[in-house]
Amino acid sequence: MKRFTQMEYKDPDEMLFGHAKFPVKIRENMEIGDGYVIPEINVAPGEGTEESKEKMVSESRNIAHSASERAVNIGLPAFILEQEHISQQTNNPDWTAECTKVQIEMLEKYYDEYGIKTALRATPADIRDEEKDSGFWDSDLFNKVIESIEACASNGASIVSIETTGGKSVSDYGIARGDPKAILFGIGVLGSMDMEYMWNKIVLICKKYDCIPGGDTDCSQANTAMFLAGGLLDKDCSHTLAALARAMGAARSLVAVECGAMGPLKDCGYENPIVKAITGVPISAEGKNAVCAHSDLMGNLMAAVTDVWSNESVYHREEMGGTTPEVWLQATGYEAALMNTAIETDNGKILRDLYTLTDKYRDPQALVLAYDNAYRIGQAIVEYGDDPYLRARAAALEAGAIINEAVDAKKMYLTRFERDSLDSALKTLEKLPTESDKFIKDCIRRYSRKIADFDPKNYEL
Amino acid sequence: MSYEDLENRINQRNVFLRYNVELEGPAIKPEEDEDVVDILPNDEPFKSIALTILHENRDDAINIVKKSLDEGVSPIDIINEGLMKGMDAVSVLYTKGIYFLPDLMLAGDAMMESVKECEAVLGHKSETKATVVSFVAEGDPHDIGKNLILMFLRAGGYEAIDLGRDVPAADIVEAVKEYNPIFITGTALMTTTMTAFPKVVEALQKAGLEVPAIGCGGGAVRKDFVESFPMSVYGVEAYHTPKLADAILKDKKDWKDLRKEYVDIVDEFVPEYS
Repeated sequence: MKRFTQMEYKDPDEMLFGHAKFPVKIRENMEIGDGYVIPEINVAPGEGTEESKEKMVSESRNIAHSASERAVNIGLPAFILEQEHISQQTNNPDWTAECTKVQIEMLEKYYDEYGIKTALRATPADIRDEEKDSGFWDSDLFNKVIESIEACASNGASIVSIETTGGKSVSDYGIARGDPKAILFGIGVLGSMDMEYMWNKIVLICKKYDCIPGGDTDCSQANTAMFLAGGLLDKDCSHTLAALARAMGAARSLVAVECGAMGPLKDCGYENPIVKAITGVPISAEGKNAVCAHSDLMGNLMAAVTDVWSNESVYHREEMGGTTPEVWLQATGYEAALMNTAIETDNGKILRDLYTLTDKYRDPQALVLAYDNAYRIGQAIVEYGDDPYLRARAAALEAGAIINEAVDAKKMYLTRFERDSLDSALKTLEKLPTESDKFIKDCIRRYSRKIADFDPKNYEL
Repeated sequence: MSYEDLENRINQRNVFLRYNVELEGPAIKPEEDEDVVDILPNDEPFKSIALTILHENRDDAINIVKKSLDEGVSPIDIINEGLMKGMDAVSVLYTKGIYFLPDLMLAGDAMMESVKECEAVLGHKSETKATVVSFVAEGDPHDIGKNLILMFLRAGGYEAIDLGRDVPAADIVEAVKEYNPIFITGTALMTTTMTAFPKVVEALQKAGLEVPAIGCGGGAVRKDFVESFPMSVYGVEAYHTPKLADAILKDKKDWKDLRKEYVDIVDEFVPEYS
């Protein structure tokens, strides 16, 4: 497996939405990262549709139909439909196969009739469970995930992605208690190991079919920190610790690309600008057009260097403006059109900088993901690129340095909670061993005792 | 215009305000907060024990508790007059926005481990107000909400039984038979997993079991859905849970009362119930 020890981008200013060093061609249909931004619509099935295969297949078809219809109605040149699967689909790979097939048929129908470029990203659910004693890497649930991935790829999905959950019990413990060592172990070590195990298998499956291995996201870990951190008045997780968790998440999500994922990386990976700076693969991102799913403080900034612009997820239902696939595809489509207009008129970099500066100092998480700072974190990661633990630690330390510099420059303001939590986290991270083995042994000793769900054997440790 | 030039032209106050920084008053010691002063005990060793919990100091808490037990102080008094008072103060600071989740979790860890020391001397589990059973809906692996609820319930003096994630209705029926809880809490992230809640109610009814209330909340769970089947109440915040349990226990409220009187019970403005 190739580890990244050098940056593919030589300067952060080279990074721009709609442009990736290594565009991805989806069959003859569309090219991602080749000079334009593509909207991506993601819709979750409504309640009750999980009850039977027939209902789920019908729901999947309806989602694809609504999205395609609105895309044609407003004249979008291209779009991606992402279907994130619910557990009932992944638990029943024959459901996955059928749902994928009907969605592909619908997208192809609209391509044939109207010439609209379409692609399906299928994302099976990671249904593995650390709580159960069946073994994380050697269980019926793991086999179901793999079977579902194959069902997607063999039934015509253009891109396959997943949100793996390795290390989540440990990172959840750390996030809830403000323990940066547990977060680093959960994300940087266990998460990276799990990604390697999973993605080596996913890439092999995709190679068997005409399917792009898209990418993974640290949704289950860094997004947990981001979600708990919430807005400015929330009180569950410090925004500085969430920023450090995000930087570690970049070192982890990079593993998918190292195993052969080609992008577009998955939308909810807010660490994607860092991974793009390192690898040059196209990314999907979400922000102000994902308010149907959650609130964050980076609504504009996340558009700065993206290649695909997503709504994250919305439940399938009626709004005044139409069904949710129609409404939210229109919203992401208009934003992509603005980005493409900026590119066409040679104002892309101005729009990129305006997107970035609108949010850069709103939140420490936004600050570390601004493309210039994302690049710096990428550099810290590749310096220790051969060692998943050390590179995740380096990413967090660099993120801390970026926040402190902005505070010193009186551009970033922190609350006492954010200040104290950052100081304490950096002190802990700086003192950690520089040898992976020592760190891992120490963490196994400490967290096996404290966290009931964490079993080192699940990771062959 | 370069990125740097653009950045230097922006008056940031016209673009955003970090309200949390703007609103933050002067720092005070947690024990000096006026509501905390009212809660903290005045007598030793209870005052020192409560302060170790307030200061989230697990090692000190265990040491003082052990020393007090050696000196013959009643383990029941240590729990009720020391540890629980400290935790009450922590909960107050959390709801006032002065303390944060990690404070709550670390203080909770210190309290639970100190309670274990007391129970070792008692020779049995300490008395709790009542038992509550908590689960994550079948098909749902997301358990942070459930874990918060467990912590708030334990801090509030309840025996909270953790059934874990992805729990089938049949397991909940068995748990109700075994523990006879006054309240069940269920969490779900997705609309396609919240459909497990009415199935739990149905299974309980089929088994001839009546539970005062099943609190349902989390992620995409909607109040109108939760109120479409009996025995249930829509829970808005994890920290509301012990207040709902108190209302069931002390005031004999049932699920219909909780729906009607939610705002009064949790004693704050809740838009979902306004």
